Amino acid sequence: MEILIFVKQVPDDGIEVHLDPAAGTPDTAKIDKIANAFDTYALELAARYVEANGGNVTVAAIGPDGTDSMLKNLIAVGAKKAYLFKDPSFEQGDEASTANRLAQLVKKCEAENGAPYDLILCGKESTDEISGQVGARLAEELSLPFVSSVIEITPDGDKLIAKQETDEGYIKFETAMPAVYTIAKPGYDPRYPNIKAKMAARKAVIPTFSAADAGVSEAPCYVECVSYTEPPKREAGLKIQEKEVADTVAKAMEILIKDKVL
Amino acid sequence: MEILVYIEVKEGELVQGSLEALAAAKELGNATALVAGDADAAAKAAVYGAPVVCAKVDAANPDAILGAVEAVCKAKNADAVFFAGTQWGKDLAPRLASRAKTGCITDVTGMEKDGDAILYTRPAFGGTVIEKMKNHGALQVCTIRSGSYSKPEAGAPASIEECDPGEADIRVKVLEAAKEITEAVNLEGADIIVSGGRGMGSKEDFQLVVELAKVLGATVGASRPAIEDGWISRAHQVGQSGKIVAPKLYIACGISGAMQHISGAIGSKYIVAINKDPDASIFSVADLGLVGDAKQIIPLLIEEIKKRK
Ligand SMILES: Cc1cc2nc3c(=O)[nH]c(=O)nc-3n(C[C@H](O)[C@H](O)[C@H](O)COP(=O)(O)OP(=O)(O)OC[C@H]3O[C@@H](n4cnc5c(N)ncnc54)[C@H](O)[C@@H]3O)c2cc1C
Repeated sequence: MEILIFVKQVPDDGIEVHLDPAAGTPDTAKIDKIANAFDTYALELAARYVEANGGNVTVAAIGPDGTDSMLKNLIAVGAKKAYLFKDPSFEQGDEASTANRLAQLVKKCEAENGAPYDLILCGKESTDEISGQVGARLAEELSLPFVSSVIEITPDGDKLIAKQETDEGYIKFETAMPAVYTIAKPGYDPRYPNIKAKMAARKAVIPTFSAADAGVSEAPCYVECVSYTEPPKREAGLKIQEKEVADTVAKAMEILIKDKVL
Repeated sequence: MEILVYIEVKEGELVQGSLEALAAAKELGNATALVAGDADAAAKAAVYGAPVVCAKVDAANPDAILGAVEAVCKAKNADAVFFAGTQWGKDLAPRLASRAKTGCITDVTGMEKDGDAILYTRPAFGGTVIEKMKNHGALQVCTIRSGSYSKPEAGAPASIEECDPGEADIRVKVLEAAKEITEAVNLEGADIIVSGGRGMGSKEDFQLVVELAKVLGATVGASRPAIEDGWISRAHQVGQSGKIVAPKLYIACGISGAMQHISGAIGSKYIVAINKDPDASIFSVADLGLVGDAKQIIPLLIEEIKKRK
């Protein structure tokens, strides 16, 4: 099975993002860029799938300079091929723009891959904007079956069974191929690269295409961000650290009663 | 402004988030509630005062529901469609928006009219940044973040209209819907939450968190590692991939304060943190911090609280 995963490069989500006081926009320039966590879960799930059932995994990203090193890292942890799409026109837009561009890019990826994709995966959401729309919109753009928050995929003849995680348990969906799924966190973590894979990946050349190369026409955009603000800060309160635990607890009780929370 | 609200139904009950979306719609314009399939649920929805459309479709299939929302939206000439900020809502909203060639705003916490347009407020980057958004598309589509509106007052029932939305484009088949988690965990409505994290060390010691919650009449919360290690079920997860909570009191035990966790609890009125690391980032958002071993502190706290009862 041929699997295509679209990956977004995001600021390291372990670092708090604040506004640049001069520009009034999120200041992510100094934050390391990493592959979106849910996209790495998608890659691990796909890598396990092809290890068990055969096939290849391609990762593709729209992104600025530097995105190629993220893609190289992904080659070290299960991706066979990687394509980068880089164009000034790709830097503007909303979720509709991204999904529309990705839908157009599938064709270019298939031409490069030399085979059509049976399954297209996205992370369930990106950790920066956290809007969770792109996978769903991509499925609509391509008029393909869509299942979200998938944590397990099993083959079933010419169909796939996708296990979706829900609040109460799970739902199993059957879909034809190709399909678009978004991936939640399965019960395992993405693998770490071994040295050999790392070395090989470092040497990989990532084919890079502009909008014109990829034949991408102008994408629609509907949503405008009018302004950014920061929410009021929470002040750090009192920290108690007595020699004896009993004293720490006694002092804390006093404060909790004084503050009328107990 | 004509606003259609998709009312999600779970085991015959209306989902709280959908009622919040209905409240948001009633504040902003003329709301119509859309219920898929279930006539009893339609009757339950009618008491919130907005006319109800009950679409005869297979409510278990998301493609059928999407088809119904699309058809009713067109038939009613709706200007906007609101969804709950649930998994289903977040799946349906962008798909509808894509079909209607418009934008969609996720996790809306507030809305105001700006002339004929709506100005939406939503958090991004785990809540450290707040965005104000406008959708220049013709149809306004959004999901409402849970806890952002209170559910509307019940009153005299409004009208119920049955509707057959016609053939939908069905692309997925539901094979099985399984319930693994049977306990009802109401984190969103809780007044007090006691949460435990990896710092509790083991399933046995995580029971201290459960006990403290019991003496306080609180709901138990947890960080992701505590759930992944199998100390407690997923229904208890607080944070970006779990529940967004806003209790009067939030007690975090052995939780470091990673943004993905804290973003779900930052709306709490009063935060107490118990952590052995004096530099843990949880202390920077806590109103009261206890530095020390949670396994020693919690039993003493339980004792003290019991004494005062
Ligand atoms: C995409 C994504 C989504 C995520 N979503 C969520 C989410 O919804 N919810 C969530 O919680 N996490 C989520 N996470 C994980 C999150 O990033 C953190 O890894 C997680 O919250 C850390 O949990 P923790 O604080 O329990 O563990 P740790 O970070 O390991 O912290 C343990 C803490 O316990 C303290 N400790 C250790 N022993 C003791 C002791 N004896 N007494 C007192 N204190 C002690 C330590 O000092 C430390 O501060 C997500 C991550 C990603 C990438």
